Amino acid sequence: MNLAHIHLLLNHWPIIGAFVGLFLFLAAFFSNSDDLKQTSLAFFTLIAILAIPTYFSGDVANEVLKQSTPLPKELINTHQGAAFLSLIFMEITGAVALIGLWRFSRMSGPAPAPVARWNSAAVLLLSIVTVGLMTVTGNTGGAIRHPEIFSSQDTASTIGAIGSKIVPVVSYFSTGFSRWVWPVLETLHFLGLILIVAAIGGLNLRLSGFVKDLPVAPLHRLLPWGIAGFVINIITGILFFVGMPFFYAWNPLFHLKMASVVVAGATLVLFNCTSAFRGWAKLGPGEDPPAFAKVVAAGSLFLWLVIIVLGRYLPLTQESLK
Amino acid sequence: MFFSIFKAIEGTGLSIWIRESDSIFSFWLILSVHAIGMGVAVGASVLIGLGILGFAPDLPLASLKRFFRFIWVGFWIQVVSGTLLLIGYPTKALTNPLFYVKLTLIGLAIASMQMLRNRVFADSSLNEAGMMAKGRIFAVWSLMFWVAAVTAGRLLAYTYTVLTAD
Repeated sequence: MNLAHIHLLLNHWPIIGAFVGLFLFLAAFFSNSDDLKQTSLAFFTLIAILAIPTYFSGDVANEVLKQSTPLPKELINTHQGAAFLSLIFMEITGAVALIGLWRFSRMSGPAPAPVARWNSAAVLLLSIVTVGLMTVTGNTGGAIRHPEIFSSQDTASTIGAIGSKIVPVVSYFSTGFSRWVWPVLETLHFLGLILIVAAIGGLNLRLSGFVKDLPVAPLHRLLPWGIAGFVINIITGILFFVGMPFFYAWNPLFHLKMASVVVAGATLVLFNCTSAFRGWAKLGPGEDPPAFAKVVAAGSLFLWLVIIVLGRYLPLTQESLK
Repeated sequence: MFFSIFKAIEGTGLSIWIRESDSIFSFWLILSVHAIGMGVAVGASVLIGLGILGFAPDLPLASLKRFFRFIWVGFWIQVVSGTLLLIGYPTKALTNPLFYVKLTLIGLAIASMQMLRNRVFADSSLNEAGMMAKGRIFAVWSLMFWVAAVTAGRLLAYTYTVLTAD
């Protein structure tokens, strides 16, 4: 096993996941089932989080592959271009889905407020585009390793070609455009961290059994600020990676950080943004959270702490790898 | 004269250890602790600020008083970790005007939060609406000072001009 294995482990999930999410969403739409709708929105959000390390693992897979097999650069660039566009649309789909999902965790009434019409329409449209892009990504990626199926003409892709023009532009924006872009992105990454610690950290501190005089539901209403911080850090993080992929791609601490981000993000989505939260939201001043809530919240706090520390340690292993 | 003091600090064993040690518990750990301290101090301020600004309706504002303690916990984490970083790179930091700007901004942010505590949270005659009306100005200023302080801190890595120890 080598690091190229990570890309293989991850890369089928976002493609199949986008399809499954869309099927669930359509089924929810036609059956008018709130439960199904919630499931599909949560699914889109989880797949969006998982798509990040999937994209990041591609650069290493390419490097490893190059050592054993001569590959046409065109094939790789097309695949990367399609993958980058898929990533962007998957992230937007996930973010919009999360806005819809959020309503299911709110305690505004006995039943959750219905998902807004604009939100359903946007998720539908975005996920259809994403599924289309994911298909191209899968096809162009398959062409790299499965000559028994594809001829290179089959996978000449306009979308991939467009994407492959965008990646270097984004990379140039992060690193070459101005020497102040990178420091400004870093500052935004820090401000995102602060929002995460304030809103997500504050809520999980309460659910771990500390600061018990605060009622949970009103604290939960501040969670969108933490989600905003998470979104800011995903955007700036992708810009960092695309700017200097090989500063991160081989770094084991970065792999560990991304794994932690996936687990912490999934915990946030599943336990704080779905109807699973509604039981905990009833906790009033002074009330002790159930044991399961404490375990989940303490785990979440620990993961965010690990993410901060790993982020600060990234340059260290980079130096030692030189 | 100042430079000779900076030089003397840079020659001490502690300074060299912070800068050059291969131990994973030297420079990078201090930097990590410094990031966590920032998260705790500024995060607690943000939580109190958002409450005062009315973004968490139904939250009893008086209960937010507990988070002032976290600001001070974070503050002292920053004093200790920041001093250690300063011992590692005295010339680099103290010859950069932005470093003094950063310290001033932190002072102003902390002072705004203290005024919020002493004039709003300590005033038992105020009801919730009164706390929000009176506290608004302190919350807005402290959040602006914190954002500016974090920005200044991050830019320190890009604006230093004198580096006598690397």
